[in-house]
Amino acid sequence: SRPIRPPVIQPRRAAGGTTQTIIVNPCQRGNPVLDAIKNVPWEYGQIVPDYQVGATTAVLFLSLRYHRLHPEYVHTRIGKLENRFQLRVLLMMCDVSEHEEPIRELTKVCLINNLTIMVAWTPEEAGLYLSTYKLFEHKPPDRIKERVDKDYSSLLRAALTSIRGVNKTDVTTLSSNVGSVREIADASVETLLACPGFGEVKSRRVSEAFQRPFRNAGKSAGARRGETPVLPPQTEEPALGRQGEGRKQRAPSPEWDDLDLDL
Amino acid sequence: MTTLLPFQKHIIEEVHSPLSSDLLILARGLGLRKLLCTLLKIYDAPSSLVLLVGASPEEEAGIGEELGVMGVRRPGLRTVDYEMGRAERRELYKQGGLISVTSRILVVDLLQKDIPVDVITGMVIMHAEKVSATSTESFIVRLYRESNQAGFLKAFSDDPEHFTYGFSPLRAVMKELRVQSVRLYPRFHEIVQESLSRRMADVVEVYQPLSESMVEIHRCIVECMEATLGEIKRSHSTLDLDDLNVENAYFKNFDYVIRKQLDTVWHRVGPRTNQLVKDLAELRRLLKFLLSYPPITFLKYLESIIASNTVTESGAARQHQSPWLYMDAASNMLTAARARCYVMQRKASDKAFAAVARHAGGEEDEWDVLDEWEGLQGRERKGPKWLPEGMTPVYEELPKWDLLRKILQEIEETIVQNPYPPNAPGTNLVLVMVHDNKTCALLREYLTSLNASGTVDPDRPPGARMLDAHLRDYIFWKGRGLRHTMQAKGEMAKSLSGGGSLKRVAPGAEEAKKDGEGEVSEALLKKDKLRERAMQQRRRMRGGKVPEPVGRSLLRGGAAAEEVKMEEEAVELNSFIETTHASPPPLTLNTMSEEDVIELVDRIDSESFDQDFGIVPDEQIVLIRPYGDDSDDMLLSELQPRWIVMYEPDQSFIRRVEVYRSSHPGLAVRVYFMVYELTSEDYMYLAQQRREKDAFAKLIEERGSMLNPILEAPTRAGSGDLIKTISSRIAGGGKVVNSEPTRIIVDMREFRSSLPSLLHAVNIQIIPATLTVGDYVLTPDICVERKSVPDLVQSFNSGRLYTQCELMSVHYKQPILLIEFEQDKSFSLQTISETRAPVKSAKPNQPVEFNASDTSTIQSKLVLLTLAFPRLRIIWSSSPFATAKIFPDLKMNHPEPDPLRAVQIGAEEGVATMVEGGWNTQAEDLLRCFPGITSKNVRYVMGKVGSVRDLCELSREEMESLLGTEGGKQCYAFVNRGTRKATRQAA
Repeated sequence: SRPIRPPVIQPRRAAGGTTQTIIVNPCQRGNPVLDAIKNVPWEYGQIVPDYQVGATTAVLFLSLRYHRLHPEYVHTRIGKLENRFQLRVLLMMCDVSEHEEPIRELTKVCLINNLTIMVAWTPEEAGLYLSTYKLFEHKPPDRIKERVDKDYSSLLRAALTSIRGVNKTDVTTLSSNVGSVREIADASVETLLACPGFGEVKSRRVSEAFQRPFRNAGKSAGARRGETPVLPPQTEEPALGRQGEGRKQRAPSPEWDDLDLDL
Repeated sequence: MTTLLPFQKHIIEEVHSPLSSDLLILARGLGLRKLLCTLLKIYDAPSSLVLLVGASPEEEAGIGEELGVMGVRRPGLRTVDYEMGRAERRELYKQGGLISVTSRILVVDLLQKDIPVDVITGMVIMHAEKVSATSTESFIVRLYRESNQAGFLKAFSDDPEHFTYGFSPLRAVMKELRVQSVRLYPRFHEIVQESLSRRMADVVEVYQPLSESMVEIHRCIVECMEATLGEIKRSHSTLDLDDLNVENAYFKNFDYVIRKQLDTVWHRVGPRTNQLVKDLAELRRLLKFLLSYPPITFLKYLESIIASNTVTESGAARQHQSPWLYMDAASNMLTAARARCYVMQRKASDKAFAAVARHAGGEEDEWDVLDEWEGLQGRERKGPKWLPEGMTPVYEELPKWDLLRKILQEIEETIVQNPYPPNAPGTNLVLVMVHDNKTCALLREYLTSLNASGTVDPDRPPGARMLDAHLRDYIFWKGRGLRHTMQAKGEMAKSLSGGGSLKRVAPGAEEAKKDGEGEVSEALLKKDKLRERAMQQRRRMRGGKVPEPVGRSLLRGGAAAEEVKMEEEAVELNSFIETTHASPPPLTLNTMSEEDVIELVDRIDSESFDQDFGIVPDEQIVLIRPYGDDSDDMLLSELQPRWIVMYEPDQSFIRRVEVYRSSHPGLAVRVYFMVYELTSEDYMYLAQQRREKDAFAKLIEERGSMLNPILEAPTRAGSGDLIKTISSRIAGGGKVVNSEPTRIIVDMREFRSSLPSLLHAVNIQIIPATLTVGDYVLTPDICVERKSVPDLVQSFNSGRLYTQCELMSVHYKQPILLIEFEQDKSFSLQTISETRAPVKSAKPNQPVEFNASDTSTIQSKLVLLTLAFPRLRIIWSSSPFATAKIFPDLKMNHPEPDPLRAVQIGAEEGVATMVEGGWNTQAEDLLRCFPGITSKNVRYVMGKVGSVRDLCELSREEMESLLGTEGGKQCYAFVNRGTRKATRQAA
């Protein structure tokens, strides 16, 4: 029922890929994804993949529902792609509820054929991926690299909230009650306990994060350097024993396990 | 050591047999630790090897101590932790006896065959309620049962409530533990009832009403909670949230319940719902703090919340501020909280401002307060020097303090009036039990300050001295600490927006910065400005115009608007500190300064030494202790007190007292039981009892109708179908049969996730190792970095993922990013739109997230990542179970990985590879957030300095040589900014 576009005859510019448009394979006509491509113009053109979103980037589109009916389709498309393109994306539309099995199978296929899978759940999301690929074609990856240009307050927040159980109120509490990072690092558990909102667990965690050594010094020194995991079973030199000392009290270990609920 | 009660003896007889495996669920407070220790004592022998799994460090220490008392000393219970090397552990296991091991170490040891599995006599598992299909404990049990069918397994739990979540929870736990029988001992069990009801406890229940201001605050908090809860329900009309009500919200596990409800969509709920759920937790904390914190600390906490609520972590103006802060109730709460601490008296010119403040707050009876100020104005100011002019302290005590004082007095009188015969069991010591160390310290402070004051001034309540100290601390905190923090935020707002919606914080901070530290006139000027602004605010409100976006939060009133007032006060207080050169009060709870101590020591002479430091008679000892779970049994039987005051209700402690009474015949115990009337505390205590009872009823029912699981011995991993590398498709298949078992190398840190356990379950040999690059190595070419969805978001934000992918690309041919969703959660990345009407696809009202140029969505970041690393493959896995199916698939037809090589890859020269996995991950994560620290130099830094504290103490030069000039400078500035010591010298 949607208006049928007049066929657009394109000069073969696809090979150059210098345009600002996404080039779409005519076989994609009628795909609702096309309507969802926003912010970027697109046009039909004779290309091997379904969408060409950059000079070296190609996208194959596969709806899992279609794949269920025609499992061989994707293989022929991949075969036609040969070795062209640097980044080859299989844009997979997850529109079935039994997705586990096909995804497993396609993961393997894509690994062998050098394709990267991207999963979208709605046509809008798929369209978003396509237009983002085009828009970001020449964008440097600075956005996702480690950054340093931040102001003090958000740095402090990020640092302290990396400790489990510390929230933004606690950050304010710490910096207003204790002072600089250096002073927080120096603060004893008792000092931390005196801050409102700090119970034993939280105080201990904060002081452990700052004050416990990075690794169990003394035992980890060079002697262990050569030791690597060995396949069981193996023989080992007799250990020098410190046993027979009996039960010894130890300081609580830092939090190693964060499987439980953390809000 | 006291003898066991009849029901305890009965339980031991039931479960002690080393031939059977059992699960025992006991009501809290019935002496689980004692049972455990008795059992361990029975099992202790040099020829046996019994492992204790799942005990926390505190419990390990407690059990070890109790075993020592019971005579199990040589060698007693030994603990294995991260400080112990691999060879050392192996030797320890060989020796046998009782050994307590952290589960993550035990898994690694079992996998590396460091522990002789087939000779393990038995395993004792604590906290059995936490065992689930994906937990480390079930992995341990599987590995144990794989090669040891004869050993016993005893699992214990004293948390029946935990068994009420989910579908047939009891059976699930029993299946994972491979246990056939379960024993339940609720408090209403016949044998327990019989043993304990022979001597009823002498309990005095004291119900303390709240003070008026506390009732007001309590009401406000509950109102805010209701509103927040309503908001959540409204925005998730599709979810079944009917059973969420404020009564449930009192409980800590409410977070769990609500997460459970939202769990299927949790990673997709928008920041707004996320904020609302966090708000609920915050409000619940406030309820608790209202009852336990002294008024000034409570006010301090409240103000911290408000101060930290305006800006997000990234520094931008918050889009989703906590809605409750805008409610009138929040504003009333703050007013009431402040009125409990001090009254600010204003000069005549300030009245207009006060009126505005009143208007903004919408507080009716503030007129009365204002009148009070007028009355006070006439009086001569006679406060101490540290008190700013116009500030009058209000001495409001927590009602329980006075109650405690009276009870202690009563006990003292009773002891004098009817003394016990000297040979009667028990001591006259008074034991006061509270919830946490903090209350403990507070009560100690209160009681000591009482004694010191001597005579009671009618104007000042007994605790006035302590409250004075608190107020003094508060003044300094607000004038210095809080102002400093807010100032930093203002700067940030300025740099980011150059005005805009945050301007209301910025100007004050700007100016304060300009004039540096001081110039009272400047501060006054600023105050005028603030007042002007407040006036404007009032005018606008009167006019009833449509609010402009700029001043939105100002206009909306509520506690958020109070921020301006708070800031003003802070500036005022700061100028006061400047003028008086007040020194900061000591930060510790103990108000005694060093000079005091020296003076005290000087005063002591030899005659009075005995009087001051000799043994104090029992009657004079008041011991204040926090509830310590099972170690309380020990405390009671060692101290043998006759007088116990329960400052806060605790169900399990009452049972402990029952047990204590029953096991000490002839001992008269009186328990005072204090509860705030009609509060969350009261409600929670009753509800807790009911919940435990219900939980047991449900458990008994499930046990009755349960089909016993059939247990088969697990097959040894990697031993199954060996012929994996031969494909039948290849005609002839004429290749050499690869007899190597299928194996995957797993990073040590990954053992906190459930994937290694599940991989092992599908017959793959797991080899633990410390990997520098990647998390899983499948083949010599394939390396996988696993990210759960929250991890993914976080490591995109920190930039860590980029570095990890970079490393993988350098060292492996096939770098793979595994995006793992969770079982039972929705398999999607899209944010759920939070509008009430369901959004039809391809309609104009698309959610805002669908803006392609927006770089903040996770989708666009993934695009950037794949563009940057075209070789990177992505596995989309809907659950760890799915991953466990995908991995063997990818390994097919590929050679097995070499652990030695995997470990060496990426490992820097000179950095020891730690096989026994002893990194302090928490400290590492913290360190990574410091400026100047990158993924590349983090390991180097960790090798050079001992701890984060050591790093903080470096001088600028040292830091620059460690991190490079630029990084060092940044790090130094970050660490030392706002140091108190410097400001102290300046003052």
